[in-house]
Amino acid sequence: MSLWTHYHTPATVDEALTLLAGYQGRARVIAGGTDLLLDIRHGHTPRPDALVDITRISGIATLRQDGDVMALGAGVTHAQIVAEPVLSARATCLVESCGVVGGPQVRNVGTIGGNVAHALPAGDGTTSLVALDAEADVVLDGVRQWLPLRALFVGPGQSRLDQTRDLLVGFRFRLCGPREGSAFKRIMRPQGVALPILGCAAWVRLDESGARYDDLRICIGPVSKVPSRAEAVEETLRGTTVGAEAVERAVSVARETLRPRTSKFRATAEYRQEMVEVLLRRVLPLAAERARTGEAIPEGVGME
Amino acid sequence: MSEKELLIGQSVRRLDAVGKVLGETAYPGDIDMEDQLWMKIRFADRVHARITAMDTSKAEAHPGVVAVFTARDVPVNEYGLGIPDQPVLCGLGSAKEGADIVRCISDQVALVVADSEAAAAEAVRLIDITYEDLPVITDPEEALKTGAPQLHPHAQGNILTHYRIRHGDMAAGWAQAEVVVEGVYRTGAQEHAYLQPEAGLGYLDEEGRVTVVVAGQWVHKDRQQVAHALGLPEEQVRIIYPAIGGAFGGREDMSVQIVLGLAAWKLRRPVKIIWSREESIIGHHKRHPMTIRAKWGATKEGRLVAAEAEVVADAGAYAYTSSKVLGNAHLMVCGAYVIPNAQVDSYAVYTNNVPNGAFRGFGGPQGAFAAEGQMNRLAEALGMDPVALRAMNVLKDGSITVVGSPLPPGVSLDRVLADGAVQSGYWERPDGQWRRQPVAQPADPARRRGIGMALGLKNIGFSFGAPEGNWATIELYGSTEIERVVVREVGADMGQGAHTAFVQMAAAAVGVPVEKVELLGHDTTYAGDSGSTSASRMTFMAGNAIKGAAELALEKWRAEERPAIATYRYNAPRTTPYDPETGRCDPNVSYGYMAQFVEVEVDVETGHVHVMRVVSAHDVGKAINPHLIEGQIEGAVIQALGYAIMEDVVTKEGRILNPTLSTYLIPTIWDIPQETKSVILEYTDPRGPWGARGMAEMPFIPLAPAIVAAVHDATGVWFDRIPLTPERVVVRLREQGLGVI
Ligand SMILES: Cc1cc2nc3c(=O)[nH]c(=O)nc-3n(C[C@H](O)[C@H](O)[C@H](O)COP(=O)(O)OP(=O)(O)OC[C@H]3O[C@@H](n4cnc5c(N)ncnc54)[C@H](O)[C@@H]3O)c2cc1C
Repeated sequence: MSLWTHYHTPATVDEALTLLAGYQGRARVIAGGTDLLLDIRHGHTPRPDALVDITRISGIATLRQDGDVMALGAGVTHAQIVAEPVLSARATCLVESCGVVGGPQVRNVGTIGGNVAHALPAGDGTTSLVALDAEADVVLDGVRQWLPLRALFVGPGQSRLDQTRDLLVGFRFRLCGPREGSAFKRIMRPQGVALPILGCAAWVRLDESGARYDDLRICIGPVSKVPSRAEAVEETLRGTTVGAEAVERAVSVARETLRPRTSKFRATAEYRQEMVEVLLRRVLPLAAERARTGEAIPEGVGME
Repeated sequence: MSEKELLIGQSVRRLDAVGKVLGETAYPGDIDMEDQLWMKIRFADRVHARITAMDTSKAEAHPGVVAVFTARDVPVNEYGLGIPDQPVLCGLGSAKEGADIVRCISDQVALVVADSEAAAAEAVRLIDITYEDLPVITDPEEALKTGAPQLHPHAQGNILTHYRIRHGDMAAGWAQAEVVVEGVYRTGAQEHAYLQPEAGLGYLDEEGRVTVVVAGQWVHKDRQQVAHALGLPEEQVRIIYPAIGGAFGGREDMSVQIVLGLAAWKLRRPVKIIWSREESIIGHHKRHPMTIRAKWGATKEGRLVAAEAEVVADAGAYAYTSSKVLGNAHLMVCGAYVIPNAQVDSYAVYTNNVPNGAFRGFGGPQGAFAAEGQMNRLAEALGMDPVALRAMNVLKDGSITVVGSPLPPGVSLDRVLADGAVQSGYWERPDGQWRRQPVAQPADPARRRGIGMALGLKNIGFSFGAPEGNWATIELYGSTEIERVVVREVGADMGQGAHTAFVQMAAAAVGVPVEKVELLGHDTTYAGDSGSTSASRMTFMAGNAIKGAAELALEKWRAEERPAIATYRYNAPRTTPYDPETGRCDPNVSYGYMAQFVEVEVDVETGHVHVMRVVSAHDVGKAINPHLIEGQIEGAVIQALGYAIMEDVVTKEGRILNPTLSTYLIPTIWDIPQETKSVILEYTDPRGPWGARGMAEMPFIPLAPAIVAAVHDATGVWFDRIPLTPERVVVRLREQGLGVI
């Protein structure tokens, strides 16, 4: 029982868009296929007539640094991200999150674009891109545009992309500079087969003295229907002194404002609530420490 | 040294290694025949319901469909390893009383055969079934209550089996008890998760026999059950196993065998089926969840004086091997110890859950979870070292067990315990006193290390009076010297390497190199009944049969017969069933003995338990092939780690909510211990071939209680329920004030 009839490998964005348009909703974008093929097999996604494989589009699988800005093609794999030294040093949370996705096979073919386009509230790569305040290069209904990443998500598994018509082309975000640092951790068995129970990425900038949080961005998932920032927690920390007290304040605000839900066989809301607190206690000090020292060595990548 | 002595104890390379590594070996799903049709099964849509009408016309009219079969097409619409309490197909029109009722979601309701798998899959959904719901009961404790819905007319109060043990004098025992520990232990269901989901091919062979190519554990029992349901003499049915992709007890009961036989017999054409992972998880039985209440007493010196226990096992909707599994748990719940006064009541209870049945350890793991949990708590209550406490109480040669008889000769528990403890590196006995080494703690205060241990015993072979033995034939070809040896032995190799061991033992028994030996196995037409590959029995039973046949064949060879052919049945010493009132019996032919030592790290904030190191010590009698033994130890340890920590069959109202391997989590490479050290000990079993004992279930059995003891050592908190999912761990730790800042 074949999952599709036609398979195309366009070489340009335009060619891909033309192909998709030609099938009038009966074709679907595929990147690594690690989510899509399972979704088709399990009937969550209707069986498409054709698959349009975007990974051969010229430039879509490359990473490009332009000064302090990093550009990632949507077809860049988790493994490519993990192997990039600039990202390890200056977008550490992204390397830490892509480094724990699945097992080696999944990281070798699964793409950052697929992770975002799948739009799960706990996609690991997505969680870190949100904390890095990434923007997405997309073609929506024929119009190519840059959007803040967060503006893409509509609901669980739903984005503004119509995957029978639209394309996610790439991302860009600012790399960490002086007094900036990031970290990501998640709660799950070191399994390599399933989505995490909970993931948390934080980006931190310290003030000139290095003693206070100048700015932060924290993304925790899944706590709502879409990948989202813990804005109340960020707000309570801005301008305050770095340290254990601040972390405890963050934890208590998280307790008040974040309401994770029970999923049938992965975790109860109560457990997730507790783990939000555990993750904040682990991630915030690590990110701040990286910002203070300017040094970062990714932890937990590939579960060595 | 002679060839014979050299071969036994050598890690001869597995016969199937190259084919499997190259991907050339055919498993049931890989085999195709010209002109074959495809089958899909409609499973029960309800958990407990009466079928009042079934309309197959839309399915029959679907393009590509060749036939639809329902209950009325099954000549004798019943099957079951223990008792035939399950319809082959639930529905209307068969003579089997009660066949119109579905009792769990694994019940099969209809078969669609079509010229493609896709057509069969589409059509199977088009069958219209009208159900009338019946009350659903999924909690065995509820099922025991008066007024609970009754699932089977033959099982009053839903009790499939009740065993008793009445040993010694309980009043006298409790009067001597200076320290008493009590516990309620709960174990979860477990999915076998073998690599190869159920699949097979049915056809009529060149002699017109209904032939089923499938993966199972006992070709002759499969044959009997297919023949019974089709109303055919057994000689008209043939079962062939190609390579088997794992079994672990999960293939002891019928899955696709009967329905493939039925369709091939009716249509006189080859019919093939392959189950998806979801169908496999829903369609075959699980390990029995059990609730065990235990109360043990000891003197303050540590001598056990009394034990009481009650075991409630969820049998699920049909009997399967529940009575036998329960029998084993019933025996094991008193552990491997001399206990002069004991009282045990054990119940297997019908519910509307997916049936529970055979799974590596066969009731032993549940029994050990309670018994070893009790011993570890007792050690704490007494302020004694857990190894020392066990050394004082373990059964020895001649000790009387709680069923009033001694173990068969060759009891080595005391030596396995001592050798294992020392070789683990965690214990030492410098001055005759057992002392445990302290464990180094990580710098991160959230991570705590601990060490724990447990031991056990496990029967080898069929128990409680079931006839036990094995047929083998040896054929010697050549003129002046033996050029070729054919061994006919149909015992199943489920992937553990039994065939390699058969060939190795045949070569040793005849005195030729393994290259000269050819095995004819896995086919009911090749040899007599081998019994199942279960109960860690196959090396022991087949080894004795092969050895006996070889000796007879060699006699004929020496008498100049060419070829020299001899057939032999090894008959194991007789065992006896439980006395219904006292439980007195002589239950088993032989035992394996084991002890395990475990180091864990607990993340007290997240509740994650990581098993860092396992030392698994086993008396194997004689290691026929040491590498194969290490394979079994490492595999069983990983499977038991899953059972103890991760594997959680989540059900709601009798339905399995996580029937996929992305939601039912089994250990992966990241979850397994950094080191599993096998300690292979050889204390001869006087009944075993070359002194060998079975060993394949043993490394599973004590691991969960050893892990629980290590977690207690790390955190100070006892757990009485497995799996130790992070949530459960966190809840208990927080109750004790751990992991909160
Ligand atoms: C065993 C296993 C383990 C996994 N573990 C994890 C994990 O730990 N953490 C985690 O976050 N995820 C995990 N995943 C999910 C998955 O691997 C990742 O989300 C991955 O990044 C998806 O990328 P892909 O390239 O394979 O996407 P695909 O499967 O190819 O596509 C996913 C979806 O996005 C659409 N799409 C893809 N690319 C584009 C594009 N450029 N433009 C428009 N639409 C597009 C597709 O149409 C489809 O709807 C796991 C999956 C498996 C099978």
